[in-house]
Amino acid sequence: MQTLIENLVNAGTFGKNASVVAAIVIFVLSAVVFLGVAFPFAGIVSWVERRVWARIQSRVGPNRVGPNGFLQWLADGVKHVCKEDIIPDDSDPTLFKTAPYLVVLAFVLPWAVMPFSSSLILADLNVGILYMTSVTALTVVGVLMAGWASNDKWSLIGGIRSAAQIVSYEIPAGLSIFPVVLMTGTLSMQGIIRAQGWAPQHWFLFANPFTFIAANILYISALAEGNRTPFDLPEAESELVAGFATEYSGMRYLFFFMAEWGNLFIIGAIITTLFLGGWQCPHITKNVVLMNVLQLIVFNVKVLALVFLSMWIRATLPRVRIDQLMLLCWKYFVPISFVDMIGTAVWVAIWPDGNAFMGYIMLAGAIVVAVLFIQRVIFYLRRSRMEMYFNPTI
Amino acid sequence: MSGVSDYVQNIKETVSTIFEGMAITASHFMRKPYTVQYPDRMAVRVQDTLPFRYRGILEVDLEICTGCLACERLCPIDCITIVADKDPVTKQLLLSQFDIDIAKCMYCGLCSEPCPTGSIHHTTEFEGADYSLESLIRRFVKDPVIAYKPKKGPETDQRIAPILNRGMAYLDQWAIPGSDAEAKAAADKAAAETAAPGEPS
Amino acid sequence: MSTLRTEEMTLNMGPQHPSTHGVLRFVVRADGEVMREAIPDVGYLHRSIEKIAEKVGYHGFMPYTDRVDYVCAMFTNQGWGSACERLGNIEVPKRGEYCRVIAAEFNRLASHLLSIGTMGMDIGAMTPFTHAIREREMINDLIEELCGARLTFNYMRIGGVAWDLPPGWREKSNAYLDHLEPILDEFNNLLSYNKIYVERLANIGIITAKEAIDYNLVGPNLRGCGVKWDIRKDIPYSVYPDFDFDVPVGNGHWGTLGDSMDRYMVRVFEMKESVKILRQALAKIPSGPVLAKVPRNFKPPAGECQIRVESARGDMGWYVVSDGTGYPWRVHVRTGSFAAMGIIQKLSQGLMIADLVTLIASLDVIAPEIDR
Repeated sequence: MQTLIENLVNAGTFGKNASVVAAIVIFVLSAVVFLGVAFPFAGIVSWVERRVWARIQSRVGPNRVGPNGFLQWLADGVKHVCKEDIIPDDSDPTLFKTAPYLVVLAFVLPWAVMPFSSSLILADLNVGILYMTSVTALTVVGVLMAGWASNDKWSLIGGIRSAAQIVSYEIPAGLSIFPVVLMTGTLSMQGIIRAQGWAPQHWFLFANPFTFIAANILYISALAEGNRTPFDLPEAESELVAGFATEYSGMRYLFFFMAEWGNLFIIGAIITTLFLGGWQCPHITKNVVLMNVLQLIVFNVKVLALVFLSMWIRATLPRVRIDQLMLLCWKYFVPISFVDMIGTAVWVAIWPDGNAFMGYIMLAGAIVVAVLFIQRVIFYLRRSRMEMYFNPTI
Repeated sequence: MSGVSDYVQNIKETVSTIFEGMAITASHFMRKPYTVQYPDRMAVRVQDTLPFRYRGILEVDLEICTGCLACERLCPIDCITIVADKDPVTKQLLLSQFDIDIAKCMYCGLCSEPCPTGSIHHTTEFEGADYSLESLIRRFVKDPVIAYKPKKGPETDQRIAPILNRGMAYLDQWAIPGSDAEAKAAADKAAAETAAPGEPS
Repeated sequence: MSTLRTEEMTLNMGPQHPSTHGVLRFVVRADGEVMREAIPDVGYLHRSIEKIAEKVGYHGFMPYTDRVDYVCAMFTNQGWGSACERLGNIEVPKRGEYCRVIAAEFNRLASHLLSIGTMGMDIGAMTPFTHAIREREMINDLIEELCGARLTFNYMRIGGVAWDLPPGWREKSNAYLDHLEPILDEFNNLLSYNKIYVERLANIGIITAKEAIDYNLVGPNLRGCGVKWDIRKDIPYSVYPDFDFDVPVGNGHWGTLGDSMDRYMVRVFEMKESVKILRQALAKIPSGPVLAKVPRNFKPPAGECQIRVESARGDMGWYVVSDGTGYPWRVHVRTGSFAAMGIIQKLSQGLMIADLVTLIASLDVIAPEIDR
């Protein structure tokens, strides 16, 4: 997109005010992307999550608003906008009002470097992945401000927990990005994707054992940074009522959760870009537009699969305690990521162009694990005796 | 050395138990939801699926109420109010008030046990929400009515007979404490089975 | 250089906190995440049930006993019924006793399912909670068919039970038990053996056997500390001697003996024992009446008695004093949850705030049973 506009500017389409017009066009386009893609995505994810949860929990989930409850997120949004906006008396009003915007900012900024397809990227920064990790960490400022400004002890504990958690997990997350950077020699999102192939054995996930572990650590750390179960301590509803969001209501409350659900996409996009081959798909057509659409679909399918995985994890696992969270980070993730980094460096030194054979072995291993998993699923299904569900009146 | 093996063991346990847990939750995608979509998206009304013994909102069949006040006496929270006076002219028992305060009622079922005719009984109705406490008082007597007098033989009045039959059936099958229902049902079934081969169908 | 000074924070947890299992209140003195002390404050759900007994008479009090502990109301029914029977020297028919045991054991299953389900929810796992509630709902369906109510049963009467088992109910119950056993294993694999879950519960809130006896803990809380004490075995009542079952005790397999995990696992294993008892009872139940002849105007001779039943929350004592009239002179209920509240202040010292929640859940306190 950037190149397209640059081409238009260079061709003199806009005359003398070319740069101004280009800036306005980018501004409008970004606004359209954010409002038209990012926010509805966060809403729809909230609906999907509730449906997924419900099915895992033997429930039906929201299914009344629109077809299969699809418009539930709009109804919730309207409800939150209509709600009274309460600012507690003894709170710090400025900080209290600013906090949700900062959290939303941290959710909106990464979309600038989101590599949807080979040419559909707002700005292909040469430090793309670094930019991504640094702006997502802005969340901590917002959450900490929310916790502090609410003047509520539960909120404060939630905010402090969040700060400790996000700051700690930045380290394993950052260290897990290094193996990929080592192998590609670039920080640009597009560069990393171009270094991979469309087939699973050419993904960095299966490039060598170290990147596989790095991918897992990065995903878990990203869950922790996104305040997702099993690391949802800042808003642990059974301990801290609603954590840092206890005193919030209406639209401000919605902003926090919109950012949380939207961050799922960011988490998925980072993993997809670094380890799952991004938008890479087979070259089946010469048509550039068609190719881009295909890449867009491939990228989104991968990201949505990861989003689904995080919902599934959330429905399965209990929550860890704050000291266990720290222990997991400092005693397990940080040392393992260091070993990973060194291991990858050695690997790259031995096989500078990668080891194609290893890719196939690791892919085979992954398939074996998947088959074992499906066996277990079938085992539990067989044992569940569905006919025993009384009152079959649904 | 044990430190290292503990470290590896911890990782192994975490991964394997999470693997198992994820398999269970994944199997639930394929299972039917257990909940029902009360109240509108149901094949049958909930009230019709409830078992016979369900203790819902109380109802009184005034036609067969004998005015014996047994229910009023046994109610632990006095939610039943009955006014029954002897008519000085006809010498008949006249029921002028039979109120049940649904707001107070705790659906214990103690009132329907001593009823001689099964007049006061629980229905399977449970939707009792209302806008005021006053409207939760169910007044069964509109105009004073003469209390029912049990007859020696079977009931002959065509109007009352079905109601009384229902009431007695209710008592037989449910309200009389200690009835050996299961043995009775088994005996009935055995009787039906022995009788069936003799009858050409 | 000045030393780092931390300020103690007083937190008010409850009575409307999401995880205090009813209207309980804790005053938590905490230093950051670490608690100095959590002081329980009870009495928000006091309904003077013991006083009501003196006003409504022996028969009329039966529905009120449901409200003493509405999670396992069959045991309160049974306790009150047995106490009155002992006062009035009434013998319950054999089938009546079997019906009581069947209903009570089903209720124990329901209560334990709720307990372990909420335990999962307090640690943030929502799915096990709904699964446990789903199974409990099926038990409620069965009990609803048996006595017409899902929570406040009022099933038992002085001298037996009100209604016999409905036709076909035994087959349905057996089928349900067949369904429950694999589900319990699945539940264990989903929640109990999960590493995160074990880590959250093991070595938390350790109670030694001596402490447990000193603080008068009963039921699974006591057995979790390794003390093999079950009223059903040690002071047999009803027809429990007829059945063959074990009393599971904590063994410290997951951490230290007497920690939260032990108390939790005792409940899980107790459910399997309940299934065992139910299978035997459903097979062995004799025919005959289920209710002894008891006058409507029940007037036991003057005297007093104390009855102990093993409820889902442990040894439940019913003390009744009769003065020969139709109304008891004094009734007292001794419940397990109230005893369990006493030890929380001691156990909470040095734990984290997140652990207080699991501690309350592992002691399985039910607010109405504490306050009555």
